[in-house]
Amino acid sequence: MKKNILLIYVSSMLMLIGGCARNLDLNPLSEGSSENWFKNENEITLALNDLYRSDLWYIESNRLFSTDRYSDDWSQREQLYEWAAGATTGMTGEVINIWQTLYKGVARSNTILYSLDRATDNVSEERLNQLRGEASFFRACFYSYLIFLYGDVPFVTDYITIEQAFELGRTDKNVILKQVYDDFDVAIQYLPTSYGNDLMRVTKGAAYAFKARIAAWMLDYRTCAEAAKACIDLDEYSLHPDYGDLFLSKTHTSPELIFTIPRSLALMNDALASNSFYIRNAGGTAVAQPSWELFCAYTCTDGLPVDESTLYDPQQPFKNRDPRCAATMVEFGTEHLGFIYDPGAEKVLNLTTNKMVTNKDALLNDQFAAYNGMCLKKGVDEEWMDDKKTETGIKLMRYADVLLMYAEAKMELNEIDASVLEAINKVRARAYKVAHTQTGDYPAVTETDQARLRTIIRNERRVELAWENRRWFDLLRWRLAEIALVRPVYCLPVKEGLIANIASGDYFFPKGVLPEIDENGLVDLSPLFATGKIRAVVQRKFDPRQYLFPIPSKEVQINNNIQQNPGY
Amino acid sequence: MKRKTLHTLCVLILTQLVFAANSYAQPYEQKKLSLKYSSASLKTILNAIEKKAGVVIMFEATDAIKKEKASISVTNQMLSQVLDQLLKPVGMEWAIRGNVIRLYKTKNAKTPPSTPQPAARNTSLTSVPNTDPGPVKGQVTDSTGAPLAGATVYVKGTSIATKTDAQGNFTIPAEKGQVLEISFVGYNNKEVVVREQGQLAIALSVMETSLDQLVVIGYGTQKQRDLTGAVSTVKGEEVSKRNEVLLSTSLQGLAPGVAVTRASSIPGNHATIRVRGITTIGDSDPLILVDGVPVDNIDIVNPNDVENISVLKDAASASIYGARASAGVILITTKKAKNNELNLEYQGNFGITQLTEFPATVDYKRYMEMINEIAWNDGGNQAGAEYGIYSKDFIDSYAANHQSDPDRFPITNWSDIVLKKSAPYTRHGLNLSYGNKAVKSKISLNYEKSDALTDNRSFERITSRMNNDIAINKYLTAEVGASFVHELRENANINPVSIAYKYGPLWTPYWSDGRVSDGRNGANTWARVKYGGYDNGWDDQFLGRIALNFKPVKNLTITGTLAPTIQVHKEKKFNKQVPYYELDNTTSPSGFIDGSLTTSLREARNEVRTMTKQLIANYSLNIVNRHYLTFMAGYEDYYRFTERLGASSDNFLLTDFPYLDRAPLDYMLNTGNASEVAYRSYFGRIAYDFDKKYLIQANLRYDGSSRFHPDYRWASFPSVSLGWVLSEENFFKNLHIGAIDFIKLRGSLGTLGNERIGSYPYQSVLNFSNALFVQGGTVVARTTAAQQSYAIRNISWETTESWNAGLDARFLGDRLSLTVDYYRKNTKDMLLALEIPDYMGYSNPSQNAGLMHTKGWDAQLGWRDKIGDFRYSVSVNMSDYKSVMGNLSGIVYDGDQIIREGSEFNEWYGYVSDGLYQSAHDVDNSPKLSVVVAPGDVKYKDISGPDGVPDGKISPEYDRVLLGGSLPRYLYGGNLNAQYKGFDASLVFQGVGKQTSRITEDMVYQTVAWHTFPDFVDGNYFSQYKTEEQNRNAKYPRLSQLSYQGNNYKMSDFWLFDGSYFRLKNITFGYTLPPTWTDAAKLAHVRIYASATDLFSLSKYPKGWDPEAGSAVAYVSKTWNFGIQVRF
Repeated sequence: MKKNILLIYVSSMLMLIGGCARNLDLNPLSEGSSENWFKNENEITLALNDLYRSDLWYIESNRLFSTDRYSDDWSQREQLYEWAAGATTGMTGEVINIWQTLYKGVARSNTILYSLDRATDNVSEERLNQLRGEASFFRACFYSYLIFLYGDVPFVTDYITIEQAFELGRTDKNVILKQVYDDFDVAIQYLPTSYGNDLMRVTKGAAYAFKARIAAWMLDYRTCAEAAKACIDLDEYSLHPDYGDLFLSKTHTSPELIFTIPRSLALMNDALASNSFYIRNAGGTAVAQPSWELFCAYTCTDGLPVDESTLYDPQQPFKNRDPRCAATMVEFGTEHLGFIYDPGAEKVLNLTTNKMVTNKDALLNDQFAAYNGMCLKKGVDEEWMDDKKTETGIKLMRYADVLLMYAEAKMELNEIDASVLEAINKVRARAYKVAHTQTGDYPAVTETDQARLRTIIRNERRVELAWENRRWFDLLRWRLAEIALVRPVYCLPVKEGLIANIASGDYFFPKGVLPEIDENGLVDLSPLFATGKIRAVVQRKFDPRQYLFPIPSKEVQINNNIQQNPGY
Repeated sequence: MKRKTLHTLCVLILTQLVFAANSYAQPYEQKKLSLKYSSASLKTILNAIEKKAGVVIMFEATDAIKKEKASISVTNQMLSQVLDQLLKPVGMEWAIRGNVIRLYKTKNAKTPPSTPQPAARNTSLTSVPNTDPGPVKGQVTDSTGAPLAGATVYVKGTSIATKTDAQGNFTIPAEKGQVLEISFVGYNNKEVVVREQGQLAIALSVMETSLDQLVVIGYGTQKQRDLTGAVSTVKGEEVSKRNEVLLSTSLQGLAPGVAVTRASSIPGNHATIRVRGITTIGDSDPLILVDGVPVDNIDIVNPNDVENISVLKDAASASIYGARASAGVILITTKKAKNNELNLEYQGNFGITQLTEFPATVDYKRYMEMINEIAWNDGGNQAGAEYGIYSKDFIDSYAANHQSDPDRFPITNWSDIVLKKSAPYTRHGLNLSYGNKAVKSKISLNYEKSDALTDNRSFERITSRMNNDIAINKYLTAEVGASFVHELRENANINPVSIAYKYGPLWTPYWSDGRVSDGRNGANTWARVKYGGYDNGWDDQFLGRIALNFKPVKNLTITGTLAPTIQVHKEKKFNKQVPYYELDNTTSPSGFIDGSLTTSLREARNEVRTMTKQLIANYSLNIVNRHYLTFMAGYEDYYRFTERLGASSDNFLLTDFPYLDRAPLDYMLNTGNASEVAYRSYFGRIAYDFDKKYLIQANLRYDGSSRFHPDYRWASFPSVSLGWVLSEENFFKNLHIGAIDFIKLRGSLGTLGNERIGSYPYQSVLNFSNALFVQGGTVVARTTAAQQSYAIRNISWETTESWNAGLDARFLGDRLSLTVDYYRKNTKDMLLALEIPDYMGYSNPSQNAGLMHTKGWDAQLGWRDKIGDFRYSVSVNMSDYKSVMGNLSGIVYDGDQIIREGSEFNEWYGYVSDGLYQSAHDVDNSPKLSVVVAPGDVKYKDISGPDGVPDGKISPEYDRVLLGGSLPRYLYGGNLNAQYKGFDASLVFQGVGKQTSRITEDMVYQTVAWHTFPDFVDGNYFSQYKTEEQNRNAKYPRLSQLSYQGNNYKMSDFWLFDGSYFRLKNITFGYTLPPTWTDAAKLAHVRIYASATDLFSLSKYPKGWDPEAGSAVAYVSKTWNFGIQVRF
């Protein structure tokens, strides 16, 4: 009897525990496994899609106007970023983040490229080549940034283990450049020129354009000129008829746009804090503005710089200027976001209520009004205001850039011909909304002297591409940062001084003095500061070591094969 | 006779059972006896008299009885004469009732009101002035229900007493309302009020010496005396009387080797618990089991429900939990009902919370002057630019302007606006206990609510627990337990504490007419907190447990346990649009506050289900005399499933409907994912005990985890421990060291495992996301896939081998106790996310990295004693450890800390400062980090360079060094308890003896222009306005945004300071109402109490910073608490 009881109890106990030993072979429930990925077109496409994510384009997308804030186009109260203060080290956040995301892009492109073989049974060779072209394009882009920003870098094109990674040192950037060109050539070979009504993915034209860009960065003007020419010769692109309209968030398609990464508020991908860039009357904070250096770089309508042109009036500085000036910055006395913008007025008109209101965009009323009285206009529209976010896309490459790269490369090669002048003039004429052939309606460029044309082209790039993340790269490759970026950031005086300036007629700029503009188009405002009527808020600094980013300290510290860039 | 306290010690030595009822015939005092003692203790002689005369002698514990020596030599004398002869010389007298003799001091002889005078010795029982003393019957048992024979039952306030018979039964004449006091040697006294003339059931609990206490260990219990591992125990009452809401914070300072740190007093914030320090970079939370079932968080248990807590610290005691035990194990046993018990207890608390400290900031004028100084410094100190931001005129006229126009010229003290002066806290608890032989039930229900010191933030909790023990038949008993916890955290959408001391004084959150202003350019945290909606979280946690104990034969128990838990977390973040008004526009809002620009809703639902199954067999065997063996074998499996669901929407048109279907269809986002983890384990233990002298125990656990590849999945974790009770040895006894009661030496050796590193680390997981494309002029999203982490295919267990040597000792009659442990741990194949080159394109994967060596000790010293009615105890504990990394195959950088070979775990890593650069010449001729450096900045030492020698530059690669461990050292805690009559008092303190802490940016650094400056910095920084002499003595660098970011606030020893602290954690005073009062109200027990928490601390933290408040969003508060405890 007792035995039976025991048996019953023990067996029921075992049943309670449930004879079911828990299976320990558990696999991810909501993720995929890379072990068996890349076996069909859909899976490869999903992996390629990842390369379009704005996260991987950190350097272009980390903020609105990412790198412009390091340049002389930027004025942000008394704030400077670590790089602009000359304080960059291998521990600087941007240096590390940019490095990490670029290499993530490289690794993901590599993974696709060496995994394509898995799909040979399921995908046609033609289609596979197109996918190969796309992945090659991205790898070339990511390496382009790497060698321009960091110089010689570790070079990986295949699967590597951790042990292999630690054996790597830095590869000569020219060796990598060769691979970049090769990758772009594969992309050029296999990518279509357009996708019709399908998703706008990267194209042959984009591959040419980005090849031209890295060639320009590496001062390989021959390759740059050829690639830019090939892009132009595709006859796929033309300039958007309205310069100002091109940059608005609504403009997703235009024959000028070669490669963009769109943003969308509804799809939860937006750029935050756009309110830093618009007026305080409309609820913005006006933290950052286009600098006076940029403002002074726009030529007058006679094509001459402000220190030479008789059309320039320091008290009415928007008058007679290149139209891109007023398209980039809000002209005083004009309407902007529902208000008349005038940093010198106590009260301004609210166009919605048709009432005069206290002008928060004047230092006369508000200590945090734009320090230099400027206000960004390029790309800014009502859409920015609803929630201080914007869905303005990231325009990575547009045709005007290609035209100017072509002109610059040919100029540097001293092959200045009609095609060079045509390329510049197309860009300039579009600003005046005329055809480049209507040379009487805009200050067409006719200069053929290499040095003088260099000055013109460099300034043209600056004003055409202002606040599009191009200026900082240009200053670095032209080796002009050591001149341009060691000057203070200037702005209007505080309230009491501004009242005095207005009273004495020294508003907007002091009378009788002009900025000095050198042969590189760099603007020196120190003569204005010498009058005591403007203030210098912060001192930019540049150490020539900053022509290259440092290698992130960690990489140097964990791997003896990696040496730091000179000067750091 | 008035008994002074409940706690009179009764010494009862019984040789025969005596029944008061039939002993009237011959008065005991006339009994004749012979005695012969020379210089023996009075106690010894009295004991002998009890034996010979068959009486019970009761006396209050006085020094006289213990210490007094007496000599007596009598032959066949009457007891009364013997007693007189013996007691008169020591100033004592005696009285007798039946066979019970009570002793008292002569001095007090006139006071005992109802005590018969010596003259009335012969007064018989019948003359006691009871109106109708009917017979009261009852039975006295122990807590298991076993009868106690020979227990004394005494009617309080009279001299009536009797003893229980062999079945524990007694009969005593007592009337309703009188109090019976029942005492039995080795058990705690108990008082029972006579309510009805029926059968009373009285259960006595064992009065434990500290060595007899049962300690809960892994899958079993053991007497303290027999422990061979390092186990710290905390009694339930120690945590419950702290009156804190959370169990985690109640543990602070109570046990050696158990470090409890809290980052803030924000209600509902869990504290972090570390057992013997940090062992791994990932999850160092100890494994927590409630009644044997693993749970995620210790705070799932209400402090009032805790019976006791065991912390298994060394490998030998913890290795039975192998897989997850490397960070220590905390076993919580919850309260159960006792036999013969029926009571209902209510506890109510009311508390007030106030800030301990808060940092001060500079005034409006200094704020403007200091902002100007920053601008001047960063602008290059150009002459004439000293008033770069605020003109002199503006500053000078500000105060006057403020008087006339406070809206345009505000002077705002943000901490006054944002922080409340006090916040309430309430708590109610109900406990119902019922027990008979078959069923014992305990049910508790608690409700707590505490408000934060900021608006719209509170924590509310309901905890309930039920424990049932059911005896089904002779073979089978069942334990059925369940607990349900509901927590609600109500939060404003933003925590405003940081702004309270960061925001500058020149902005106002509201105009003088009450309208919301734009604050600082639209940043108005106050308005967001007040009107911006909420971010609330609900947690429902259910724990169930059914255990069947089957005893087929004597000494064998088979236990099957099934324990499911279900946790549901719900989150609702409703961010409401908050409009603001311009000063001169009273009619319509001018815009919306930053962060509250649109109305949006985000909801999340997370569900975690776990199932623990156990089958355990326990067998004990007494082979031959003095040889005891116990065996335990078990199987356990555990499964955990997590599923997360999220949905959000934006741009609501209405701000009153926090539901997703009120949202526009675009701007909607859904998310969801899931993961699962499982373990399977086999384990066993053999313990052998020879003559209570030699103890040996061996454990083995074999564990498999789903986190690893099948080839690297299983590991075994053995341990062995030895104990030698030195004081049981004859040679030791022969030494006659009277002061030493007990000494035990312990030693253990074992291994533990750790595998907490994400769910699928060995698999190459593809993570899905979205990218945007343009298609036909519109933007569309497409799914993307990418492998983001590198898979380490052969990743496997981290194992910690450790040995522990310990000593347990008791001295001076169990009054002084000491426990000391020294241990070493060697962690092998440590799971660390070693840095891999970033150019691999993956985040750092966890790897089996290498070695870590830890040495540490912990100690506890306790003293308890009583002086008359005054009982008190003191206990202090301290612990320390240091972990040094051995051969790692890499480095881990963790912010400003590092883990690398030779470093401590999480050691500070940075530059070595060399004061401040004093002049331009100094700057030009010294190594520096970058061109940003100027006089007044922190100067660093050039330690090395690429070639191994100083290279004239400061660089992060070559000039950063180890700056000392960041973890706290010499953690200590202690408590004092005292009781006198109905009064009780306790005090708990706690602290850190040594810690290298950093002055955080929040404390010292004005991050952006509208932030103000800490008061303690003003006057102590390097400045162009100061003399060279003053600057040489400056404590802080010059004011500069550029240099702060670019140079001065880089990690260096410049900002390190001694972060040790002492904190008075808790003081409690309580008063238990006399039973005569409570009985009048038909209550069994009433205690009222008041306590204060975190009243006082000492530290070197910058003025206003609490040593425990680590960050800018936290504060630490003190609490005043009042409560009542009523048992019906």
